[in-house]
Amino acid sequence: MYRILDKKELAMKEVWYKIHAPHVAKKVQPGQFVIVRAFPNGERIPLTPIRWDREEGWIELVTFVRGKTTMRMANELKPGDALLNVAGPLGNPAEMKKFGKILAIGLITGIVEVFPIAKAWQEIGNDVTTLHVSPNPMVVLREDLENSVSRHIVEGFDLQPGWGMNEIAQELVKRAVAKVKELLESEHWDLVFIVGPAGGQKAVFEVVKEYGIPMEADLHPIMVDGTGMCGSCRVTVGGEVKFACIDGPGFDAYKVDWDELIHRVGFYTDMEKKAMEEYMKLFKQTPQGGEQ
Amino acid sequence: MAVKRKIIKERVPTPERPVEERIKSFVEVNLGYTFELAVKEAERCLQCPYNYAPCIKGCPVHINIPGFIGKLVEYRNDPDKAVKEALNVIWACNSLPATTGRVCPQEDQCEMNCVMGKVGDKINIGKLERFVADYAREHGIDEELLFEMVPRIEKKGQKVAIIGAGPAGLTAAGELAKLGYDVTIYEALHEAGGVLMYGIPEFRLPKSIVESEIDKLKKLGVKILTDHIVGKTVTMEELLKEYDAVFIGSGAGTPRLINAPGINLNGIYTANEFLTRVNLMKAYLFPEYDTPVKVGKRVIVIGAGNTGMDAARSARRFGAEVTIAYRRGEEDVSARVEEVEHAKEEGIKFVYFVNPVEFIGDEKGNVKAVKFEKMKALDERDSRGKRKIVGTGEYVTIEADTVIIAIGKHPNRLIINTPGLEVDRRGKIVVNENLMTSIPGVFAGGDAIRGEATVILAMGDGRKAAKAIHEYLTEKRESQNA
Repeated sequence: MYRILDKKELAMKEVWYKIHAPHVAKKVQPGQFVIVRAFPNGERIPLTPIRWDREEGWIELVTFVRGKTTMRMANELKPGDALLNVAGPLGNPAEMKKFGKILAIGLITGIVEVFPIAKAWQEIGNDVTTLHVSPNPMVVLREDLENSVSRHIVEGFDLQPGWGMNEIAQELVKRAVAKVKELLESEHWDLVFIVGPAGGQKAVFEVVKEYGIPMEADLHPIMVDGTGMCGSCRVTVGGEVKFACIDGPGFDAYKVDWDELIHRVGFYTDMEKKAMEEYMKLFKQTPQGGEQ
Repeated sequence: MAVKRKIIKERVPTPERPVEERIKSFVEVNLGYTFELAVKEAERCLQCPYNYAPCIKGCPVHINIPGFIGKLVEYRNDPDKAVKEALNVIWACNSLPATTGRVCPQEDQCEMNCVMGKVGDKINIGKLERFVADYAREHGIDEELLFEMVPRIEKKGQKVAIIGAGPAGLTAAGELAKLGYDVTIYEALHEAGGVLMYGIPEFRLPKSIVESEIDKLKKLGVKILTDHIVGKTVTMEELLKEYDAVFIGSGAGTPRLINAPGINLNGIYTANEFLTRVNLMKAYLFPEYDTPVKVGKRVIVIGAGNTGMDAARSARRFGAEVTIAYRRGEEDVSARVEEVEHAKEEGIKFVYFVNPVEFIGDEKGNVKAVKFEKMKALDERDSRGKRKIVGTGEYVTIEADTVIIAIGKHPNRLIINTPGLEVDRRGKIVVNENLMTSIPGVFAGGDAIRGEATVILAMGDGRKAAKAIHEYLTEKRESQNA
């Protein structure tokens, strides 16, 4: 059991947690993740620590409410409660070397994972620009990024009434592609790094490829155990089957089979929706539920 | 004891849940013996002497089988006493009898050379072992025995770390705790049990039973740290600083895949992923439990070992039509006889001599069929005694919307990357005759050294390693005291 030392709702749907997890805090490095299980009947979800204190033994996590688990965590957990499991650190740390001028892009929730890596790159002497493309008002980590890297750019957009996930995704891709093109056109870059939904990552990669700039991507296929045991997170990279949990999560964007990844991350969409609907039903029936 | 007894040729059957009922649920199929039935079966045992008994020789952990069976008959008028005495005999060699009674391939081990087999049915040793463990648990007899045992343990003051809370690690932990060592298990998943929790389905090994066996270890003083991944959370070097010895029981954690086009299509699961979702994460209770699993109308399971049977029978319980595809013939099926029988009873089809060459997908990236090459067997046999097979150049395509790959596993990669740890080219940890690895004080057993074997062989290794660790630490203690 891992105590929730603090919890805050940063903005709509963005929740920040400070968790007592000394075994992770002692070892975690930028680019690594943890697997969290919050409820006895819950699933295991990968999350990225954004900050940690090795001495005091805590880590900070940020979730964006997008499915049943993250919503339940936001609704039901409070400081003093505990997470049942925090396993990790998992995955390989990001490569820490001097690349030169880096454009690190976070699409929506991807910025959470970009933050510790970008900060560490800047600290060892890289010139890092971070770009967060996201619907407003998601401005998590804005100040932290502004204080940690050479330049932080927010490319936000307003959600229009009646938009569903498809429209948001389309707008996201449109914005990301336009902004990245503009930056690549006007400045010299040594490395582009991207974290976010696979469809958006692919669209940005198509642009970067035209400029021939080296590009790394942290991939987010569906995971179960996160220790290389199940193979749920397999991706094709350079024609070989790799497990994102133990071979990644960072890969050369030029070698990733993006279409396959896009198919694989969408496999359970209908069931995720069902789980969410069932949860919402329950929520409405409970007298102390919040739907007043 | 020269009482002349009538030989009873037929086994006392154990009741099983009817097929129609069991394919709709994950409740346990075999219901086990009652005390009366167990005594009846026990009475059939010829009570071979200890030094001769082929059952003891066939058991990887050398349980005194006639010994425990004899107690059931001896104290037939006092069931609690009978079971307590029998459990005491079993525990001397095996701390997880409720598990092994259910999952051991008894027909290839203890029961294989049973003398009764010459005149009739062999003794149903597995079901008797299971009966003793179940009755003891249900009547608090195991607690009673533990209660008597724990105060007698003499603390050694030395610490042992165990990597992996599966059959090998749990067994080693239990043995070492009984010898008075301070034992801590490092487990990567959120539950202890390893393959007993994530791999073997509820209908074959109820999870509450595994939990209860693990509880007993905790009462012996074994500490279990879940969420700790050795190689990530803590390194071997750090463990060696903190502990006097280490046992690696990390299993065969990496699934083998088939090197054929389309392997990453949606709907193709490794057996590890499918079974982990179903067993450990309880996807069969979705959406009450959050983890989903997708089982289509037509499922193909590739591979005919115990894992293949478990995957196939689990998929059947989701209402699917299930076919097991195996590249060899029926004679080479490696699963336990009982599992194959149950699978057939449950309506699972078997297709032999087919080897997958391509997975065919639809435009959405979902699997829709598997293309197989038809194989044929030669007279020549391979090193494992199986007939060699070759492709015929003829192909057959079978439609399926879910495919489960159950062709085996490799040792866990996170552990074998430990500096200084010698592994062979297949990733198996190299050990000497005492199960010590190339790193002094680090021992290993189970699938981590075998590649892929059975629960009981892993337990046998755990027991053997515990003995070797005890000798190693005794020497260390004595040299320090000298």
